[in-house]
Amino acid sequence: MAVAREFEYFRPETLEHSISLLGEYGENARVLAGGTDMALKIKQGVETPKAVVDIKGISELERLESTDNGLHLGALVTFSQVMASGLVAANFPLLRDAAATVGSVGIRNRATLVGSLCSAVPSLDIGPALLVHEAVVLTRSAGGTRKTGINKWFTGPKQCALEPGELVTGIVVPLPPGKAGGCYVKRGRYAGKDPAQAGVGILAMEKNDYRVAFCAVGPVAKRAPSIETCLHGQELTDPLIKAAQALVPQEISPITDIRASKAYRTLIIKVMLERGLKTAVSRLKGKPSAHGAIWI
Amino acid sequence: MEAMEELKFVGKPTPRIDQQEKVLGAARYVDDLDFGPNLLHAQVVESSLAHARIKKIDTSEAEKLPGVVKVVTGKDFPYHFGLYMQDRHIFAQDKVRFAGEQVAAVIARDLATAKRAAKRVKIIYEPLPAILDPREAVKKDATLIHPELGAYSHVPWFFPKPGSNIAHWRKVRKGDTIQGFAEADLIFADTYRVPRYAHCSIELHGAIGLCDHSGRITVWAASQSPHTQRHIFAQALAPLGFTHQNLRVITPYVGGGFGGKAGVTMEILAAALPTLVKGYPIKIHWTREQEFYNTYQRPALVGTLKMGVKKDGTITAFDYLIHWDAGAYVEYGANVVNASGLSATGPYRIPNVRIDALCVYTNLPPGGPYRGFGYPELLFGVESHTTRMAQQLGMDVVAFKRKNAIREGDKLPYGAPMTPNGLTECIDRVVKTIEWGKKEEHSDPNKAIGKGFAIFWKAPAMPPNAASSAFLKFNEDASVNLLISAVEIGQGVLTAMAQIAAEILTVPPEKIRVESPDTDRNPYEWQTVASHVAWGTGNAVKRAAIDAREQIFEAVHHACFLEKDALYLEDEAVKCRTQPGFALLLKEIVINGIMVEDGTYRGGPIMGRGTFMPRFTSAMGDPDTGQGGHPCVHYTVGAAALTLEVDKQTGRMKVLKAVEAIDAGKAINPQIVKDQICGGLLQGLGTVLYEDMRFDESGKLLNPNFTDYKLPTAMDIPDEVIPIIVETPQADGPFGARGIAEHPTIPAAPMVANAVCDAVGVRVKSMPVTAEKVGLALAAGQTEVE
Amino acid sequence: MKKTITLTLNGDARSVDVETTETLLAVLRNKLGVKSPKCGCDQGECGACTVLLNGKSVRSCLIFSVEVDGQEVVTLEGLSHNGPTPLQQAFIDRSAFQCGYCAPGVILSATELLTVNPHPTQTEVQEAIAGNLCRCTGYESLIEAILAASRE
Ligand SMILES: Cc1cc2nc3c(=O)[nH]c(=O)nc-3n(C[C@H](O)[C@H](O)[C@H](O)COP(=O)(O)OP(=O)(O)OC[C@H]3O[C@@H](n4cnc5c(N)ncnc54)[C@H](O)[C@@H]3O)c2cc1C
Repeated sequence: MAVAREFEYFRPETLEHSISLLGEYGENARVLAGGTDMALKIKQGVETPKAVVDIKGISELERLESTDNGLHLGALVTFSQVMASGLVAANFPLLRDAAATVGSVGIRNRATLVGSLCSAVPSLDIGPALLVHEAVVLTRSAGGTRKTGINKWFTGPKQCALEPGELVTGIVVPLPPGKAGGCYVKRGRYAGKDPAQAGVGILAMEKNDYRVAFCAVGPVAKRAPSIETCLHGQELTDPLIKAAQALVPQEISPITDIRASKAYRTLIIKVMLERGLKTAVSRLKGKPSAHGAIWI
Repeated sequence: MEAMEELKFVGKPTPRIDQQEKVLGAARYVDDLDFGPNLLHAQVVESSLAHARIKKIDTSEAEKLPGVVKVVTGKDFPYHFGLYMQDRHIFAQDKVRFAGEQVAAVIARDLATAKRAAKRVKIIYEPLPAILDPREAVKKDATLIHPELGAYSHVPWFFPKPGSNIAHWRKVRKGDTIQGFAEADLIFADTYRVPRYAHCSIELHGAIGLCDHSGRITVWAASQSPHTQRHIFAQALAPLGFTHQNLRVITPYVGGGFGGKAGVTMEILAAALPTLVKGYPIKIHWTREQEFYNTYQRPALVGTLKMGVKKDGTITAFDYLIHWDAGAYVEYGANVVNASGLSATGPYRIPNVRIDALCVYTNLPPGGPYRGFGYPELLFGVESHTTRMAQQLGMDVVAFKRKNAIREGDKLPYGAPMTPNGLTECIDRVVKTIEWGKKEEHSDPNKAIGKGFAIFWKAPAMPPNAASSAFLKFNEDASVNLLISAVEIGQGVLTAMAQIAAEILTVPPEKIRVESPDTDRNPYEWQTVASHVAWGTGNAVKRAAIDAREQIFEAVHHACFLEKDALYLEDEAVKCRTQPGFALLLKEIVINGIMVEDGTYRGGPIMGRGTFMPRFTSAMGDPDTGQGGHPCVHYTVGAAALTLEVDKQTGRMKVLKAVEAIDAGKAINPQIVKDQICGGLLQGLGTVLYEDMRFDESGKLLNPNFTDYKLPTAMDIPDEVIPIIVETPQADGPFGARGIAEHPTIPAAPMVANAVCDAVGVRVKSMPVTAEKVGLALAAGQTEVE
Repeated sequence: MKKTITLTLNGDARSVDVETTETLLAVLRNKLGVKSPKCGCDQGECGACTVLLNGKSVRSCLIFSVEVDGQEVVTLEGLSHNGPTPLQQAFIDRSAFQCGYCAPGVILSATELLTVNPHPTQTEVQEAIAGNLCRCTGYESLIEAILAASRE
């Protein structure tokens, strides 16, 4: 078994206490939520904190509730909770569908959405869904609170806009302006758990308004503005899809790695875009369509 | 004989006798054993380079760390070891030959200290050119990986070429291939590639060794081969004065083997290290990462296959040149090359055969046994190629294969006659079940459906004198302890052996405890490999049970004056054909004997013994032709087919239905046989669809983890699997049985490749057949993928 | 750094001294004598170390033992206080496991499934155990056993 470097363990029960600990230990402190990422890194020696601040004792971070115009997901909300939530199912099925593609039950029971945003790997499955829903990340530090639009959150591979001494308290996901149909399309090497080799999240809204976001085909998960502009205001037709697909190369910068080649990522992301768009639109139109993400 | 009579326990889906323990959390595996407060931990220091000379090892910084007991290097153990060829050392000596090879080890009071200290061991290397490709390795001026090759001792059926990187060259020459190709109407050649694979038993390798103060070594190991391990330990440690007598290997339940825990790999450390720290048990346990790069790997190959056929579909000639990437040490792997090389034609009747199977050293981890023992790798090429040749002839693929399928008495590649088999029955039943020839359309226009078919065979690969034995003793309640040294690695051997003993003794299997091996107590078994234990150990168990039965009859004969010939066992009692009312319950006599008139007793504790030695095998074939010997005891054959859905835009595949028929001779436990088929098939499908080992250009493994080495999950199984059991009795098998456990993996790869081609017209000639390969080929309009 | 933690383990109150760096898996196996959770990969990928933490299946190799102070842990050993559960009996009846190394994790994952969803579809069963790698069975027998238990 792997053996971690020594650290001191804290389990604060208030936000204030956790933030003061982060301030006190500065660079040497690490926040621990579900630990599916952090515990592994500590065991492997990739992270060697002196202080581990476990935030699971802070009950106010557990909130999963609707707000005036959307949904509040506290920093401790796990993927399993999102999948089981009636609130999410009713208004944000895309979030649920994307959450269901993350790892397996034993991971999702522990892993938080916020932890996923903070680990900020390019392949994070929840990225596209939060991007197209234009979620806002709520952070807090000794200096006060801050809101960051999700499109500004990811700053590089495994890098995000979190500042030293800052804690994410939750995510706010606004309701789409009207009716919407969503679809997450994930490419994995198989149907079992696998990090995405490409992911597309789509939200089709009334008046032919579309939002499109990608993960795992560039250094960060991101929206695809040129594709959205191309689609905007138009009925989804095969020629329109072709036009959108033609814009894919300028929106992505995939690499070749052990999981997939650049050529293959480029090939399938277009197929994924097409299938995602069609499914999202049919869901918008209320066509009976099996819920769930599409695996490619 | 027995097959004629009604069988009560053999041939029945008896519940597994290990199941309660495994389901209730009682089963103990090696990592679960406790060794008290004196337990020490060892951590190896591994080579960072694939090929280098060791200039200097500085252990001083490591030794200074509190809690470190000892730092050990190759100087402490300059001894060779190996199963078939002694080309390995306990620690690297002057050179390292693969990245990850053990160069030193730290023994410490706790694992954290051992790990920390291991990082402080400084090794200075002088890099040497690393050879990763077997076809580079055989070039004339290639760097020699083992310049000492000529000095290594090895079994007589290996033919190393000192002064080259060829550790063994298996040649088969049958008939006249020049003539055979001349007779052909169609000749076709192509090259197939198979990468390396990992066994991935969920249990990691682990072993604990103790050299007690009297100088006796006990090793507890997760092992498929306790006796063979003891033997190899005795050979390696002979210079220190150890012999078999003062070595003991104990093996509890094993959490999966698949060949990876056969022979000796890391366990050598658990035998050697304790000799330096007497009185302290030392635990050495691999991580998942080490499991990938420092145990055996399934070797890779590049094979060029040329075949000639007549218009009517008769195969006239076969020429297979195979370069095996066998890795840095081939002490076990060379026998993979040897055994599969002898049967590299696949199950076909071919008059003119030329096979060159080269076992080539490379600077990659040691190649070794993996479920299928070379056959899945070789048959990927053969079963792809025969399919393509049938298509080129315009012949139905199944008809072509069936026409050429080997039958009993046909001459094998090495000249001996083919053993009894139900290959055509397997073919016919598979074809019917898969509805061969019926084209299926997908409702989704983006998807196509194809069918793939393959036939296969495999013989146990073992030395001609690979023996088994069994010992059984009765308890007062007529329950039985059956002692064997075949290991329960999941295949169900405990249950099958209990069924065989039960059949003879009429004691139900649940009253028979089958004990896991302890070389001090359990009798000899060569290894739990080669799918030979159902057959070999099964024979020994049957003989042990008959031996016990004879002792019972003998006692009854003396005490009751009944003719032995008239006695028989039924429902745990001795009965007599000539005296219908006579019945003696076993539980009344098997320990306490039988009282006679004067109050004295006859009989006494009943203990049966049985041994089995294959009778007609020999490895005495001619080195240049392979002719003359009788290296294989028998063949298990089968056929399989599947229906595959392929996404024409992405290449994504899904197995809709898979059918596999295997000739078990006699299925001792049909449920276990079917479960072997389901499990083995998915393991095979994993190798073709998802898995493969990737190395960088320096020879470092890039995916030593389950994140990027993709084992199929419960989401990745065929929609439907139909296992079929065929039973053509094996004359010398217990109740007609022969082994089936490795075989289910074999047809998976070629039948997927064949189905992809049937569905979308893309022929993939290298494993794995991934969605990426198929998808990119389809997008580019390519019909072949190298 | 040392700490003393208290937890309910298979129904018993247990107290144990741990290092903050020790995983729950290591503490269960090495300090609390509970051997059913296995170390198969140490990275959360294989599921052999699965335990139920407050009723939910989690990877004990990705949890530091200090995190479970005051909480409830159930391992395979804790299921059969009153004899095998119907699910365990279904696995026994089906002779579902081969080598058995994945069994503790598979059984706990399936236990959780049947608690929240007593009558799952086959796909739901497959999803529930998708995080538990099994190299032996091809999963067919495991799925059959879980479905059989759900029909009880
Ligand atoms: C086996 C396995 C399979 C996986 N499969 C997938 C997959 O298919 N798809 C996918 O998208 N992901 C996958 N993941 C990644 C997983 O989603 C993330 O590890 C998880 O979401 C991180 O959440 P956590 O609560 O465990 O975070 P932790 O591990 O606790 O923390 C992650 C990072 O976020 C920081 N952090 C956490 N919470 C806060 C906070 N409130 N404020 C500030 N910083 C914080 C931590 O300091 C750390 O740097 C997988 C992981 C594993 C182990």
